[in-house]
Amino acid sequence: MSHPAGSQFRTPPRPMTRERMRWYVDIQETVQADTGRIVTQPPTIHDDDAYAKKNGLPGIIADGMISTNWILGLLVDVFGPEAAGRGRLRTKYIAPIYEDQVITACASVKRVVHGATRDAVYELDVWCEDATGVKVTVGDAVVHAPAGGGR
Amino acid sequence: MATGRYTSDLTVGDELGPVRYTMSRFIAREYAHANELHQPCFQGLESPIAPPTLVHIDKLRLYKIACPAGAGPSARIHYEFDATMHEPVPLGTPIESRGKVVSRYEKKGREYVITDIEMRSADDGRLLIAYRDTVILSFKAQAERAGAAA
Repeated sequence: MSHPAGSQFRTPPRPMTRERMRWYVDIQETVQADTGRIVTQPPTIHDDDAYAKKNGLPGIIADGMISTNWILGLLVDVFGPEAAGRGRLRTKYIAPIYEDQVITACASVKRVVHGATRDAVYELDVWCEDATGVKVTVGDAVVHAPAGGGR
Repeated sequence: MATGRYTSDLTVGDELGPVRYTMSRFIAREYAHANELHQPCFQGLESPIAPPTLVHIDKLRLYKIACPAGAGPSARIHYEFDATMHEPVPLGTPIESRGKVVSRYEKKGREYVITDIEMRSADDGRLLIAYRDTVILSFKAQAERAGAAA
Protein backbone atom coordinates (compact mmCIF):
# COMPACT_ATOMS: atom_id res chain seq x y z
CA MET A 1 0.00 0.00 0.00
CA SER A 2 1.32 3.48 -0.83
CA HIS A 3 0.63 6.57 1.23
CA PRO A 4 0.22 9.77 -0.81
CA ALA A 5 0.95 13.22 0.54
CA GLY A 6 -1.74 14.23 2.99
CA SER A 7 -2.18 10.72 4.45
CA GLN A 8 -2.50 10.83 8.23
CA PHE A 9 -1.91 8.15 10.83
CA ARG A 10 -2.75 8.10 14.53
CA THR A 11 -2.22 5.73 17.43
CA PRO A 12 -5.09 4.98 19.78
CA PRO A 13 -5.08 7.54 22.63
CA ARG A 14 -3.08 6.49 25.70
CA PRO A 15 -3.13 8.04 29.18
CA MET A 16 0.35 9.03 30.34
CA THR A 17 0.07 7.18 33.60
CA ARG A 18 2.52 7.35 36.48
CA GLU A 19 3.54 3.80 35.63
CA ARG A 20 4.36 4.64 32.01
CA MET A 21 6.55 7.51 33.23
CA ARG A 22 8.35 5.24 35.69
CA TRP A 23 8.99 2.60 33.03
CA TYR A 24 11.16 5.11 31.18
CA VAL A 25 12.91 6.17 34.37
CA ASP A 26 13.82 2.61 35.30
CA ILE A 27 14.80 1.54 31.79
CA GLN A 28 17.59 4.11 31.67
CA GLU A 29 19.69 2.48 34.39
CA THR A 30 18.49 -0.99 33.45
CA VAL A 31 19.90 -0.92 29.92
CA GLN A 32 23.13 0.73 31.02
CA ALA A 33 23.73 -1.97 33.63
CA ASP A 34 22.63 -4.76 31.24
CA THR A 35 22.52 -7.37 34.01
CA GLY A 36 19.27 -9.00 33.02
CA ARG A 37 17.54 -7.35 36.00
CA ILE A 38 15.61 -4.11 36.46
CA VAL A 39 17.79 -1.39 38.01
CA THR A 40 16.13 1.64 39.55
CA GLN A 41 17.59 5.13 39.91
CA PRO A 42 17.35 7.96 42.44
CA PRO A 43 14.23 10.20 42.38
CA THR A 44 13.62 12.22 39.22
CA ILE A 45 11.09 14.79 38.02
CA HIS A 46 9.46 11.91 36.13
CA ASP A 47 8.66 9.64 39.06
CA ASP A 48 8.85 11.57 42.34
CA ASP A 49 6.29 14.25 43.17
CA ALA A 50 8.36 15.87 45.91
CA TYR A 51 11.45 16.08 43.69
CA ALA A 52 9.40 17.50 40.82
CA LYS A 53 7.88 20.17 43.08
CA LYS A 54 11.31 21.00 44.46
CA ASN A 55 12.29 21.75 40.86
CA GLY A 56 9.42 24.16 40.29
CA LEU A 57 6.95 21.77 38.65
CA PRO A 58 3.37 21.19 39.78
CA GLY A 59 3.96 17.43 39.68
CA ILE A 60 5.77 14.73 37.78
CA ILE A 61 6.10 15.11 34.01
CA ALA A 62 6.78 12.49 31.34
CA ASP A 63 10.22 12.07 29.80
CA GLY A 64 10.00 13.36 26.25
CA MET A 65 11.49 10.14 24.94
CA ILE A 66 8.22 8.36 25.67
CA SER A 67 6.52 10.58 23.08
CA THR A 68 9.39 10.01 20.66
CA ASN A 69 9.10 6.25 21.07
CA TRP A 70 5.33 6.30 20.60
CA ILE A 71 5.88 8.17 17.33
CA LEU A 72 8.56 5.64 16.32
CA GLY A 73 6.12 2.82 17.03
CA LEU A 74 3.49 4.48 14.83
CA LEU A 75 5.99 4.82 11.95
CA VAL A 76 6.99 1.15 12.26
CA ASP A 77 3.33 0.11 12.30
CA VAL A 78 2.68 2.10 9.11
CA PHE A 79 5.90 1.62 7.13
CA GLY A 80 7.41 -1.54 8.60
CA PRO A 81 10.80 -2.12 10.25
CA GLU A 82 12.53 0.06 7.66
CA ALA A 83 11.25 3.05 9.65
CA ALA A 84 13.64 2.02 12.44
CA GLY A 85 16.59 1.29 10.18
CA ARG A 86 17.29 4.20 7.88
CA GLY A 87 15.98 7.75 7.89
CA ARG A 88 15.53 10.48 10.42
CA LEU A 89 13.37 11.25 13.43
CA ARG A 90 13.31 14.65 15.11
CA THR A 91 11.05 15.54 18.03
CA LYS A 92 10.81 18.69 20.10
CA TYR A 93 9.02 18.73 23.45
CA ILE A 94 7.08 21.99 23.39
CA ALA A 95 4.85 21.40 26.42
CA PRO A 96 5.14 19.18 29.48
CA ILE A 97 2.97 16.06 29.69
CA TYR A 98 1.51 15.63 33.16
CA GLU A 99 0.21 12.54 34.87
CA ASP A 100 -2.86 10.96 33.22
CA GLN A 101 -2.94 13.37 30.25
CA VAL A 102 -4.29 11.39 27.30
CA ILE A 103 -1.82 11.40 24.42
CA THR A 104 -2.13 10.40 20.76
CA ALA A 105 0.90 10.03 18.48
CA CYS A 106 0.29 11.25 14.92
CA ALA A 107 2.06 11.41 11.55
CA SER A 108 1.17 13.12 8.29
CA VAL A 109 2.87 12.55 4.93
CA LYS A 110 4.27 15.82 3.53
CA ARG A 111 5.99 14.46 0.45
CA VAL A 112 6.83 11.17 -1.25
CA VAL A 113 9.86 10.76 -3.47
CA HIS A 114 10.12 7.59 -5.55
CA GLY A 115 13.67 6.49 -6.29
CA ALA A 116 15.11 4.61 -9.24
CA THR A 117 14.96 1.35 -7.26
CA ARG A 118 11.21 1.79 -6.70
CA ASP A 119 11.89 2.49 -3.05
CA ALA A 120 10.03 5.47 -1.67
CA VAL A 121 11.27 8.17 0.66
CA TYR A 122 8.53 9.61 2.84
CA GLU A 123 8.83 13.00 4.50
CA LEU A 124 6.42 13.39 7.38
CA ASP A 125 5.30 15.77 10.07
CA VAL A 126 5.04 13.96 13.38
CA TRP A 127 3.54 15.07 16.65
CA CYS A 128 1.83 14.07 19.88
CA GLU A 129 -1.36 15.81 20.94
CA ASP A 130 -3.46 15.80 24.07
CA ALA A 131 -7.16 14.98 24.36
CA THR A 132 -8.10 18.50 23.25
CA GLY A 133 -5.92 18.35 20.16
CA VAL A 134 -3.19 20.61 21.54
CA LYS A 135 0.26 19.57 20.33
CA VAL A 136 2.72 18.80 23.11
CA THR A 137 5.49 17.28 20.96
CA VAL A 138 6.27 18.27 17.36
CA GLY A 139 8.82 17.17 14.79
CA ASP A 140 9.44 15.52 11.47
CA ALA A 141 10.62 12.23 10.07
CA VAL A 142 12.12 10.71 6.95
CA VAL A 143 11.34 7.07 6.23
CA HIS A 144 12.92 4.98 3.49
CA ALA A 145 10.25 2.42 2.62
CA PRO A 146 10.52 -0.49 0.21
CA ALA A 147 8.55 -0.62 -3.02
CA GLY A 148 4.89 -0.54 -2.20
CA GLY A 149 5.27 2.14 0.42
CA GLY A 150 5.09 0.08 3.59
CA ARG A 151 2.17 -1.79 5.10
CA MET B 1 37.27 21.62 29.47
CA ALA B 2 34.32 21.46 31.85
CA THR B 3 33.87 17.75 32.35
CA GLY B 4 34.40 15.94 35.63
CA ARG B 5 31.53 17.25 37.72
CA TYR B 6 27.99 18.30 36.65
CA THR B 7 26.31 18.29 33.24
CA SER B 8 25.41 21.90 33.97
CA ASP B 9 29.16 22.64 33.74
CA LEU B 10 29.47 21.38 30.16
CA THR B 11 30.81 23.85 27.64
CA VAL B 12 31.40 24.00 23.89
CA GLY B 13 34.18 21.70 22.76
CA ASP B 14 33.86 19.23 25.63
CA GLU B 15 34.36 15.71 24.34
CA LEU B 16 32.45 12.87 25.95
CA GLY B 17 33.48 9.24 25.87
CA PRO B 18 33.94 6.96 24.13
CA VAL B 19 31.73 4.34 25.71
CA ARG B 20 31.72 0.76 24.47
CA TYR B 21 29.13 -1.95 24.97
CA THR B 22 27.32 -4.66 23.04
CA MET B 23 23.76 -4.08 21.87
CA SER B 24 22.45 -7.09 23.74
CA ARG B 25 19.09 -8.76 23.39
CA PHE B 26 18.26 -7.64 26.92
CA ILE B 27 19.04 -3.97 26.20
CA ALA B 28 16.99 -3.84 23.02
CA ARG B 29 13.99 -5.86 24.20
CA GLU B 30 13.72 -4.28 27.62
CA TYR B 31 13.96 -0.79 26.13
CA ALA B 32 11.34 -1.68 23.51
CA HIS B 33 9.11 -3.18 26.18
CA ALA B 34 9.38 -0.11 28.44
CA ASN B 35 8.27 2.05 25.51
CA GLU B 36 5.48 -0.28 24.35
CA LEU B 37 7.30 -1.07 21.11
CA HIS B 38 5.91 -4.56 20.67
CA GLN B 39 6.52 -4.87 16.93
CA PRO B 40 8.21 -8.11 15.75
CA CYS B 41 11.26 -6.21 14.48
CA PHE B 42 12.01 -5.34 18.12
CA GLN B 43 10.49 -8.25 20.05
CA GLY B 44 10.43 -11.12 17.55
CA LEU B 45 12.79 -14.09 17.39
CA GLU B 46 14.01 -13.59 13.83
CA SER B 47 16.44 -10.79 12.94
CA PRO B 48 15.39 -8.30 15.60
CA ILE B 49 16.93 -4.85 15.65
CA ALA B 50 17.38 -2.29 18.41
CA PRO B 51 15.07 0.73 18.59
CA PRO B 52 17.19 3.57 17.19
CA THR B 53 15.92 5.77 20.01
CA LEU B 54 18.31 3.85 22.27
CA VAL B 55 20.91 6.35 21.14
CA HIS B 56 19.38 8.63 23.77
CA ILE B 57 20.69 6.24 26.42
CA ASP B 58 24.18 6.66 24.95
CA LYS B 59 23.99 10.30 26.00
CA LEU B 60 23.31 9.17 29.56
CA ARG B 61 26.19 6.70 29.39
CA LEU B 62 28.49 9.51 28.23
CA TYR B 63 27.17 11.91 30.90
CA LYS B 64 27.76 9.30 33.58
CA ILE B 65 31.46 9.17 32.74
CA ALA B 66 32.02 12.85 31.92
CA CYS B 67 29.77 14.30 34.63
CA PRO B 68 29.81 11.82 37.52
CA ALA B 69 28.16 14.22 39.99
CA GLY B 70 24.94 14.31 37.95
CA ALA B 71 22.77 17.08 36.55
CA GLY B 72 23.92 19.81 38.91
CA PRO B 73 22.04 22.02 41.34
CA SER B 74 18.71 21.54 39.54
CA ALA B 75 17.01 19.19 37.10
CA ARG B 76 17.94 19.00 33.43
CA ILE B 77 15.11 18.89 30.87
CA HIS B 78 15.35 17.10 27.53
CA TYR B 79 14.17 19.50 24.82
CA GLU B 80 14.89 17.95 21.41
CA PHE B 81 15.75 14.55 19.94
CA ASP B 82 17.19 14.53 16.42
CA ALA B 83 18.53 11.23 15.10
CA THR B 84 19.62 10.26 11.62
CA MET B 85 19.63 6.50 11.23
CA HIS B 86 22.21 5.29 8.71
CA GLU B 87 21.76 1.55 9.28
CA PRO B 88 19.64 -0.74 11.42
CA VAL B 89 21.39 -1.88 14.60
CA PRO B 90 21.11 -5.69 14.84
CA LEU B 91 21.31 -7.35 18.23
CA GLY B 92 24.84 -8.38 19.13
CA THR B 93 26.46 -5.36 17.45
CA PRO B 94 29.47 -4.05 19.38
CA ILE B 95 28.93 -0.31 19.86
CA GLU B 96 31.27 2.62 20.38
CA SER B 97 29.70 6.02 21.02
CA ARG B 98 31.27 9.44 21.43
CA GLY B 99 29.84 12.86 22.05
CA LYS B 100 30.86 16.47 21.68
CA VAL B 101 29.24 19.59 23.08
CA VAL B 102 28.71 21.81 20.04
CA SER B 103 26.65 24.69 21.41
CA ARG B 104 25.62 26.34 24.64
CA TYR B 105 23.39 29.40 24.49
CA GLU B 106 20.66 31.33 26.26
CA LYS B 107 17.28 32.03 24.70
CA LYS B 108 14.30 33.63 26.41
CA GLY B 109 16.03 33.22 29.74
CA ARG B 110 16.66 29.52 29.30
CA GLU B 111 20.06 27.94 28.88
CA TYR B 112 20.42 25.26 26.19
CA VAL B 113 23.19 22.74 25.55
CA ILE B 114 23.49 20.86 22.26
CA THR B 115 25.52 17.68 22.08
CA ASP B 116 26.32 15.68 18.95
CA ILE B 117 26.66 11.94 19.49
CA GLU B 118 27.78 9.29 17.04
CA MET B 119 26.90 5.64 17.58
CA ARG B 120 29.27 3.49 15.53
CA SER B 121 30.00 -0.17 15.07
CA ALA B 122 33.02 -0.86 17.27
CA ASP B 123 34.15 -3.52 14.77
CA ASP B 124 34.80 -1.30 11.78
CA GLY B 125 33.77 2.22 12.74
CA ARG B 126 30.65 2.29 10.54
CA LEU B 127 28.34 5.13 11.49
CA LEU B 128 25.03 3.66 12.62
CA ILE B 129 23.22 6.66 14.11
CA ALA B 130 24.12 10.35 14.26
CA TYR B 131 22.26 12.05 17.07
CA ARG B 132 21.88 15.70 18.09
CA ASP B 133 20.55 16.17 21.61
CA THR B 134 19.30 19.43 23.08
CA VAL B 135 18.72 19.92 26.80
CA ILE B 136 17.63 22.87 28.93
CA LEU B 137 19.73 23.46 32.02
CA SER B 138 18.81 25.06 35.32
CA PHE B 139 15.15 24.24 35.05
CA LYS B 140 14.57 25.09 38.71
CA ALA B 141 16.20 28.48 38.39
CA GLN B 142 13.90 29.20 35.45
CA ALA B 143 10.83 28.18 37.41
CA GLU B 144 11.85 30.38 40.30
CA ARG B 145 12.43 33.35 38.00
CA ALA B 146 9.07 32.78 36.36
CA GLY B 147 7.46 32.60 39.79
CA ALA B 148 9.20 35.73 40.93
CA ALA B 149 8.04 37.57 37.84
CA ALA B 150 4.43 36.46 38.22
